[in-house]
Amino acid sequence: MECNVAIIGMHDYLDGDLPREEAQQLQAHLRSCPSCMARFEQLERTEALLYNALEHAPAIPAYDQAASAKLTERIMSQLPKEKITRQNRRGALRYLYKYPGLAVAALFVVVMLGSFISMWQQDSKLVISGEGEVLQQVVIEGKKVTIPEGVHVKGNLIVENGEADVRGEVEGNVTVIDGSLNLASTGYITGQQRTIDQALDWFWFKVTQSFSGLAS
Amino acid sequence: MNLLEARLARLALKGDQRAFAELVELYQDKLFHMAYRMLNNRQEAEDVVQETFLRVHKNLERYDESLKFSTWIYRIATNLCIDRLRKRKPTYSLDAESNDHEGLDGYSMIPSDNRTPESEMLLSETQRIIHEAIDSLAPKYKTVMMLRYIQELSLQEISDVLDMPVTTIKTRVHRGRDFLRKKLEHKL
Ligand SMILES: [Zn+2]
Repeated sequence: MECNVAIIGMHDYLDGDLPREEAQQLQAHLRSCPSCMARFEQLERTEALLYNALEHAPAIPAYDQAASAKLTERIMSQLPKEKITRQNRRGALRYLYKYPGLAVAALFVVVMLGSFISMWQQDSKLVISGEGEVLQQVVIEGKKVTIPEGVHVKGNLIVENGEADVRGEVEGNVTVIDGSLNLASTGYITGQQRTIDQALDWFWFKVTQSFSGLAS
Repeated sequence: MNLLEARLARLALKGDQRAFAELVELYQDKLFHMAYRMLNNRQEAEDVVQETFLRVHKNLERYDESLKFSTWIYRIATNLCIDRLRKRKPTYSLDAESNDHEGLDGYSMIPSDNRTPESEMLLSETQRIIHEAIDSLAPKYKTVMMLRYIQELSLQEISDVLDMPVTTIKTRVHRGRDFLRKKLEHKL
């Protein structure tokens, strides 16, 4: 493999877009070419830093919950007025519910769409991802994500900036990034359980994830 | 995937303000976050978010449900951000597609109103360098990088949002990443 081909391959790899066979060829080239290897390592770190700096960027100082609520008000109040509220909808539509600061009520998430829930909670963002089936069964309470006792879910669960409390059975991996994982005596995880704290750890997790993405 | 939003959009079109409020709740903070990172100015970011929702509201009847709602709303918001970035530098022009890395860099950073010493302190040195490097990207690269790394959209989704071929998006991600690599080289 030529170096210029390898360089394109590196980017495709980081995009999660490199076919397995070519990934192997790239690996072989990297092993034999120190300058490409150095470049690849730099690119990997750039990628990790980018995710880390942007995705986990600190909250914008002047934009807190109050500012967010104020903006919502501004948006809603400037809408044309001729459309009038006709119904008082509840229930099914309220899948996703953003907590007001002091609310403690539990939220039962029934997610039939999407495989990703994220909400803003003070400074950091609680992010839960996993297969739809798993997300249908989790209970979110503040920053705590619970797999209730007696519940059996099939699939992987990833919790970021929160606390995972496994009381039921998870047939898959549970990963917690910047948070804690509690496995109750009633709980059981058939796959791996991991707690990741540092940016670098987290990055390797991402890489491994895209590797397994390649393999599947 | 799109059921909830499509349904909310339909209800909002019929005049259900609460449904529209749900859409605002779903997207407001995400859009603000992105607009703020694009524009580095809180007031402008808020204006962009507000304008986005006004446009969404006005054009609900034209919303084509074959397009993901998120794609549609990001498209509106990113276009508004790009417009504002362009207006800041009317003479700014570049087409780095044809000419290696020329034009990627080399336009002065727009001073931001929010970089107070306190907010600065919240960022680690490395993060600060990254943010500065990103701010020095030309708008068309910056947009792609934001959608990629903040919103974590796939290349295909970015191509849908910006209505550009996926190969173009790919090139921009690659160039943007390589540009940042060089900027950060001594730090890595
Ligand atoms: Zn090489």
